[in-house]
Amino acid sequence: MNGTHGTGEAGTVDEGGELDPREAALIVKQTAIQARRQFEPASPLAAVLGAAVFLFGYGAVWWSMRDQHVYTGPAGWSIAVLYVLIAASAVVGSRVSRRATAGVSGRARRQMQAQGAAVAAAGVGAWVVEGAPRYLGVSFKIVYGVYGPTVPLIALAAAGAGYAAAREKWPELGVAIAIIAVASGSTFFGPLGACGLTGLGCCIALLVYAAVLTVWLRLPPSAQQ
Amino acid sequence: MTADTLDPLIHVPSRLRILVTLAALNHGDTLSFTRLQNMLDLTPGNLITHLRKLEDAGYLTTEKTGNGVASLTSVTLTRQGRSALEVYIKALRALLDGL
Repeated sequence: MNGTHGTGEAGTVDEGGELDPREAALIVKQTAIQARRQFEPASPLAAVLGAAVFLFGYGAVWWSMRDQHVYTGPAGWSIAVLYVLIAASAVVGSRVSRRATAGVSGRARRQMQAQGAAVAAAGVGAWVVEGAPRYLGVSFKIVYGVYGPTVPLIALAAAGAGYAAAREKWPELGVAIAIIAVASGSTFFGPLGACGLTGLGCCIALLVYAAVLTVWLRLPPSAQQ
Repeated sequence: MTADTLDPLIHVPSRLRILVTLAALNHGDTLSFTRLQNMLDLTPGNLITHLRKLEDAGYLTTEKTGNGVASLTSVTLTRQGRSALEVYIKALRALLDGL
């Protein structure tokens, strides 16, 4: 069956003997929970890291602009903090996802690749569009202060929400909608609000999501429907 | 209802765990032999024997790609296997409700 494995141990095969129905039910429940947890690409740890990105990354940008009476943009160091945290979070998320799908092939892997392409296209598209209003004369304050920290995020979350809805992944759908709501609402509060409220709101949303996901992964599959 | 109504091929701890694990994947997805073995903590020989029995019953299919040390065996739960597991779980619930 596998070139590296022999069948010499077949004589020790466990046939179970008299398996009690209660024991069988316990095996079904425990195995299903364990399998779901191992195959699940979303992880509470990755969500907590995402929350840290929003709190400290967006927080750094907000901190660097908090005393500006006239908008001059965030300090270089704060942008660096934000991008380093985003990169670290992407690396962790990618590793968690690869570990969950190791050895799995077929539809699930194709779906993940398609999801990655959709989310990337949404994010890059929204980021590229940022240049258009600036080109048309819209102020730095609006383009980089309000649009920059919110609209690409809304596009990413919308792509994620569509994927989550299609796969009936309710916790993911909930956090994506929460991020869209927070980021959309924060645009009414100028550059400081866009960074501060988005950072704080999305951090809270992701922490709640991490808690929900922790409970969700411990539920038997029948309760997750 | 008695335990005799439960599919005897599935009503074995290792085979039950194999089917439940594969059923956690989407229909049509395959899982490598190595990952399945690691998840269930079974010896290769033990796992192979159980897989053969389940394959003979049409509950799963196995496919080997490559040769020698680079060979990779993947396992897929069939519709028949998923359906048999659902029937087994329903029968198990009915049995436990009656106790």
